[in-house]
Amino acid sequence: MAVYIIKRFLQTVLIMLIVSLITFFALKVLPGDPAVLILGTDATPDSLALLRESMGLDEPLTLQYLNWIGDALRFDLGESRYFGGDVTTLIGQRLPVTISLAILSVGISFILALIFGTIAAVYRQTWVDNLIRLLTQVFSSVPSFWLGMLGLTYLAARNGWFPVTGNFSASAGLLVNIRAILLPALIMAVGEVGILIRQVRSSMINALRSEYMTSTEVKGLKRPSAIIKYAMRSAIMTPVTLASLRFAALFGGTAVIETVFSLAGLGRLLVVSVEQRDMMLLQGIVLFITAVVVMISFVTDILYTQINKTIRIGG
Amino acid sequence: MKEFLGGRIMKKHLTLLLMAASLFVGFISTSFSVSAQEEDTQQLNFAISVDPDGLDPQRTVAASSFQVTNNIYDTLVKVTPAGEYVPGLVESWEVSEDGLTITFKLVEGISFHNEAPFNAEAVVASFDRLKDDASPRGLDYANITSYEAISEYEVEFVTEELDVELVSSFAYPWAAIVEASVGDDLKNNPVGTGAYKLQEWVPQQRLVLEAYDGAMVTAQIPVVNFVTIPDASARVLAFQSGEVDIMGISGDQVSLFEAAEGFKIVESQSNALQLMAMNLENEYLSNPLVRHAMNLAVNKDVLIESIWYGYGNKIGSHYPPILKGHVDHSEAYAYNLEEAKALLAEAGYPDGFTITMDLPSDYQAYVDAGQVIASDLAQIGITVETNIVEWAYWLEEVYTGRNYDLTVVGHTGRLDPFVLLARYDSESGENYFNYSNERVDEILRSVKQVQDEQERLDLYAEIQAILAEEVPALYIQSPVSLMIMDESLEGFEVYPLDIYEIKDVHYVN
Repeated sequence: MAVYIIKRFLQTVLIMLIVSLITFFALKVLPGDPAVLILGTDATPDSLALLRESMGLDEPLTLQYLNWIGDALRFDLGESRYFGGDVTTLIGQRLPVTISLAILSVGISFILALIFGTIAAVYRQTWVDNLIRLLTQVFSSVPSFWLGMLGLTYLAARNGWFPVTGNFSASAGLLVNIRAILLPALIMAVGEVGILIRQVRSSMINALRSEYMTSTEVKGLKRPSAIIKYAMRSAIMTPVTLASLRFAALFGGTAVIETVFSLAGLGRLLVVSVEQRDMMLLQGIVLFITAVVVMISFVTDILYTQINKTIRIGG
Repeated sequence: MKEFLGGRIMKKHLTLLLMAASLFVGFISTSFSVSAQEEDTQQLNFAISVDPDGLDPQRTVAASSFQVTNNIYDTLVKVTPAGEYVPGLVESWEVSEDGLTITFKLVEGISFHNEAPFNAEAVVASFDRLKDDASPRGLDYANITSYEAISEYEVEFVTEELDVELVSSFAYPWAAIVEASVGDDLKNNPVGTGAYKLQEWVPQQRLVLEAYDGAMVTAQIPVVNFVTIPDASARVLAFQSGEVDIMGISGDQVSLFEAAEGFKIVESQSNALQLMAMNLENEYLSNPLVRHAMNLAVNKDVLIESIWYGYGNKIGSHYPPILKGHVDHSEAYAYNLEEAKALLAEAGYPDGFTITMDLPSDYQAYVDAGQVIASDLAQIGITVETNIVEWAYWLEEVYTGRNYDLTVVGHTGRLDPFVLLARYDSESGENYFNYSNERVDEILRSVKQVQDEQERLDLYAEIQAILAEEVPALYIQSPVSLMIMDESLEGFEVYPLDIYEIKDVHYVN
């Protein structure tokens, strides 16, 4: 077991290293000189040269990389040129929004998937199942920005049930904050729920077919309670793994929803860093998201082997 | 049985994970500072689409930043909505007989937001910082060779060469007086003498200013809350729902408010310019006949109507109509397809040719305008291949690298016609047209020494006429910018510089 953990850990470190290399060097070859971008149409060759020098852009690339990665190991991701603050501080400011959004939307979609996936499995091959599968297809193919605009127009601006601008802050209190992100989380959940429903449905079908379900019947247990107590418990494993992976993916994939709902999350920070060629910020966010995703899958793997000893490790 | 157990453990873990995560979120969010929502007339909610890139006016060139910093800092000289220069942080100023020295008498008894005194020393320190290497505008002030405090409240600036528009250079928002001892911290913690001081800034979310008691003129609305709303439709919804009191809108959005009540739209003629630039190094574009033909082939009225919904003034040269000394050349090459075809044939291209056009994706209006122009040019046989490029690429390849054929872009306006026209000097680093005309060079290199204003304006008129005749670009329009606001708001003025004076804005009931 220890060997497996060490092996997985080394893999994780290697992935991080490769990602950091790719991020750093791939970004350097992108067109778009940050100095030119800062000065815009007012740039003169003299002012450009001066600015490049003051930004340290004239140092050799390998040295720039080593400095950056060395600092990153000490949790110092450098300073954002555009915003002027520490990259770690900026990421820290965005985390509450993005984590809450991701948790809430994965949570909502998980609950919905559990309900509708089970119904679809129990009534499989009937019109109920077909309807659920049809709606699932429809909702997962609707673009989230469009759904977001619909939500903003009818549920926020017209009815005032939700705020139009997602002002997420501690001063507002927990309820206000949940109100600020509930609508975007719902809309993200709608996009997420399709794949989860399908997963729950097929695991449930397998569980319902298994021998212990027959034995619950023999023992005289009522069907609904047998489904909830036994079938669902065994069927939940795969969807849970999938949900944790979706959570990791949402971490870097909330940009569209954050833009529509004016939420200051990680996704929009990433977008701005690309637009503004704020290299330190961009590299920092990519490294951070990679670290989170890699860590989540590392922890999930370890937990998984702990829970289910039948998973073969090593070899 | 094993599987049942697994399910239970997993569930327990999931619950724990969710609990831990919500605790974490709660913990982080409580560490934020508190800002309570004020009563309506006590707070102005101002929607912006992008954040300022820092609040240090000496370390940015972004108009979106100056619109905010102008309320935090003051300049020595201010410009009125009519374009007159009036004292800002000074009682008066005096220009020496030879025009090389300007002496400012500063206002007394003012202090910065951090209580540091405002005096001649502070002005000198601020200009040291403005002329520093790290300052993007530093080189604009190279002509000022020395400046010193001659008493506690008097500062003298000496220029090397005569610059008759010298006073204007003290009115730009980047010439604002900053508390220089704060240094580069100004970017996030601005310290000025302005009517507002920074209360809180959560980048990409909100930037809150509060009135400063010690300012020269006290602000009328105590709190200004700039809310960042990146999506244009979301901004409209936020305004309609009352979450936003004032914001800029584009011409196409005006119709969205037709059914609504309780607002007003303020139109302002900006001094910016929008044009389709041509690279004169291109073999076709180097031929004046081709450029004339292309100008004749584009229907500017239709273009302005379809892209900017008519909110713009047609131009025919590189000069905005509201700038002093403007000469109207907008009809110089009035739309005429037959003549355009004839000229193209005369140039030796009766069947037209193929050319590329790079359009900056960040500016949807320029992309759309480029497509309309391309379809107009197709009518005389010129095939335009449009490439939509990122702004960073545009700046490097098109603007700085001059590696393009055609492009559509805008230029920000200036108070001084010289700064506006200087890019047409054949030696200028900003001459991305690769334009060269001996007479234009001659005028640009001597006009700053001409003392007589009328004589100077005549020279600028001559350049306008030459550009209108030689058309190194298709000059399209000078845009009208639109602000929508709550109808109870008064005092919002439009300035020839791209700035807002929020201190004068107030509610009337």
